Amino acid sequence: MKVSLFITCMCDIIGSGVGKHTVELLEKAGCEVDFPEAQTCCGQPAFNSGYLQDSKKAMKQMMRAFKDAEYVVGPSGSCVGMLREYPKVFRGDPEWEEQANNLAAKSYEVTQFLVDVLGIEDVGATFNGRVTYHPSCHMTRVLGVKDAPQKLLRNVKGMDLIELPLAEDCCGFGGTFAVKNSVISGEMVKEKSQHVSETRAEYLIGGDMACLYNIGGRMTREGKNIKILHITEVLNHQ
Amino acid sequence: MGLQIGDTSFKDRVQEGLKNDFMRQAVSSAQGRLRNGRLSAAEELGDWEDWRTLGEEIRTHTMENLDFYLQQLSEQVENRGGNVFFAETAEEANEYIKNVVKKKNGRKVAKSKSMVTEEIGLNEALEDVGAEVVETDLGEWILQLDEDPPSHIVAPALHKNRQQIQETFENKKGYQKTDKPEELALFAREQLRKEFLSADIGITGCNFAVAESGAVTLVTNEGNARLVTALPDTQITVMGMERIVPTWEELDVLVSLLTRAAVGQKLTSYVTSVTGKRLEEEIDGPDDYHLVIVDNGRSKILGTEFQSALHCIRCAACINVCPVYRHVGGHAYGSIYPGPIGAVLTPLLDGYEDHKELPYASTLCAACTEACPVKIPLHEQLIRHREIIVEKENMAPTGEKVAMKGYANWASNPAAYKMSAKMARMALKPWTKHEKISNGPGPLKGWTDVRDFPAPSKQSFRAWFKERQKGEQT
Amino acid sequence: MECAATVAGIGRMQQDELVDVLEKQCKAIHTDFKRTTIAELPQTVEETVAVYGKKIITAKDDRNEKFGLDLLFDRLRTGGEEVHVWDSKAGKENQIIAERADVGINFSDITLAESGTVTLFNNKDNGRSISLLPENFIAIIPKSTIVPRMTQAAKQIHEAHEQGHMVSSCISFISGPSNSADIEMNLIVGVHGPVRATYIVVDDGD
Repeated sequence: MKVSLFITCMCDIIGSGVGKHTVELLEKAGCEVDFPEAQTCCGQPAFNSGYLQDSKKAMKQMMRAFKDAEYVVGPSGSCVGMLREYPKVFRGDPEWEEQANNLAAKSYEVTQFLVDVLGIEDVGATFNGRVTYHPSCHMTRVLGVKDAPQKLLRNVKGMDLIELPLAEDCCGFGGTFAVKNSVISGEMVKEKSQHVSETRAEYLIGGDMACLYNIGGRMTREGKNIKILHITEVLNHQ
Repeated sequence: MGLQIGDTSFKDRVQEGLKNDFMRQAVSSAQGRLRNGRLSAAEELGDWEDWRTLGEEIRTHTMENLDFYLQQLSEQVENRGGNVFFAETAEEANEYIKNVVKKKNGRKVAKSKSMVTEEIGLNEALEDVGAEVVETDLGEWILQLDEDPPSHIVAPALHKNRQQIQETFENKKGYQKTDKPEELALFAREQLRKEFLSADIGITGCNFAVAESGAVTLVTNEGNARLVTALPDTQITVMGMERIVPTWEELDVLVSLLTRAAVGQKLTSYVTSVTGKRLEEEIDGPDDYHLVIVDNGRSKILGTEFQSALHCIRCAACINVCPVYRHVGGHAYGSIYPGPIGAVLTPLLDGYEDHKELPYASTLCAACTEACPVKIPLHEQLIRHREIIVEKENMAPTGEKVAMKGYANWASNPAAYKMSAKMARMALKPWTKHEKISNGPGPLKGWTDVRDFPAPSKQSFRAWFKERQKGEQT
Repeated sequence: MECAATVAGIGRMQQDELVDVLEKQCKAIHTDFKRTTIAELPQTVEETVAVYGKKIITAKDDRNEKFGLDLLFDRLRTGGEEVHVWDSKAGKENQIIAERADVGINFSDITLAESGTVTLFNNKDNGRSISLLPENFIAIIPKSTIVPRMTQAAKQIHEAHEQGHMVSSCISFISGPSNSADIEMNLIVGVHGPVRATYIVVDDGD
């Protein structure tokens, strides 16, 4: 199966390791992975801030970049969630509506793709350690992917998966919110950090790097010893 | 008082909220209880998602045929001896109600909790004509004695603790007992019972008016709305024009959703449906009945992308799950409608000028949208508001506008993007220490004030991928 | 849409199951629950009233006679208790009596098992104050009045309205005693309405 990787700008530039694990994971699952170089950012920073016209420029670039892709798979519930919103954004736009529908229909978050499209629930991974999982808001509530990451994680051997208290509460990231309302954002991430600490996990796993950077960044600031891991890193671990 | 509360800036109100430890603790534990209550009530009902869909359909249908149902409602109420008044503005509503009170020579008005009367500032208006207004909902009475605005649409005094309430009762009403909730409530019962018996005018809000028969339905636990509708001879219902259902069958669905979503109850202690004047030979109920239907900006919302905000049944489920509300509390919103629905509704009813921060007081985590029993896409409406603030009202800060322009150019130009991917690590190098940034420049500062920011990777993903491909080829 | 609770059929077993549902819900709404037969109803009411106080107010209701309560009330009066039957001719005096009464007694017109709700169609013989002003409330629930949930009551009212029957000026759906959580979210039972409530389910054999 041919898969075009949607790396997301954050994993392209800041957390490039996530991309490597995603590629390897997909290849192990039997996919042929390509990387359309013209891809940039999904447009979410501008879209969520109310800059609709500016965000559309990014979105159009993404539609051009993935025009010929069979499947588009990315390591972020939030960014894939944005691609899935394109049809709403371009509804009634004669030039772009069809492409928006097309891209949304073939885009998947990586765990969603593994479970729902490929039908894989056990990737044969082994990971030793005490971990907890933060289900990011956009993954669960915007994209609607709740079960896939859990199913995959439960089948990882050696892992001690501790339930995170009030797991579905937002970590306070919220894109520009973290900058625009940094004080409130700070209070929210302190609370999340507290909940993560309560699990006494050594690793915090998530499907969205932005949230993990937020929580992890707070926890290192508090001097807490925890490592953040994108879910693909765990699933790609032998 | 009206819709807006206080005149300090959003920033100050947030700070005020964050400093208030009791309030934050109270809100946090209330949210926990209310959220769990809603979830278990939903689970007990079984097919909650079907109920939500039905609720949404009913609300959509009703809004699309609002003229028809309002007409039907007024006819029914008039058939039952009631007077119906459509008030386009808050002033018109207050004027009408003041006239009724004056005509009746009303001295004492007993009110049961109503958000729309808060919205139009009715209490102050009534005091103008010399009528004494007594709020009879326990929470509202506490706030009235303390001259404090509500901070939650279902539990208005959520931000107050028992010591504060004891103090208020002591200072304002000569209360002598302890701060035990039971004793405080008993005192309120005794005090307010006298008020009910001596009130000549009763005013309530309306949870749902049933268009087919003219019944105004009030959903309460304390029983004050029953007293207010049973004892005074003159009765005024004030309702937002959207608080209407076609028939009793739809009432069933919406009441079932409301009580579960609001307080996790299958039904509240009292669901009371009153229709027009009391009938011949009846003793309880009013012999003079008025229904005041308030527009106050609502019809402007009809037919717009925000129409579904009018679907709101005021259950506060969105408020009870909102993590921003949890930390800043209700007063920070500067509106009697706080939380996600408040952030959507307040600018619609009162304009952007005084409320432009509200749509940004959300991480767009969508917990509100998920909790809403009638499926209002609250977080999406917050984005719509932001679009209007940026693109129509032109109220965004210049720096942000410039940054977003830059973003658009960057994200639509793969070469520029690629270059930045290459340069990012170097650009941030001056602030990077041990692979993290703890004291970032410009917009990063807000971030690094409370948490570290990761240093960009040594090699971008796309560079790695290209190398790997080359390696595979050779 | 069909919801599980709305499709429940009416059968003898079903009705008994509904009584069980109602009994269980009464615990959640802080309401005492009793079962009795028509023959034993007067005694059950008498026992309940004995706990609540000596001044009683009740509706003028044909069922008082059918269920043997008229005789009970006469007996209580001779025993020195005050029993006032709502009398529209007495005007506001009814409210004053209700305010002074220890207990209000009403027959439920429709009973919603799921939520533990008694439905009263208030009218000139059945004032709203009876179930509202006294500190204690007794609802007599003929078993035949029990339906699964609000859906059936709403349907009945809707259909009656469509057939041209005038909807009661006040329909009261009452689920247990009054309560409030306005002080630190602590549940306080008994605020403006009754503080205590007892439901007595009578097997009326219908």
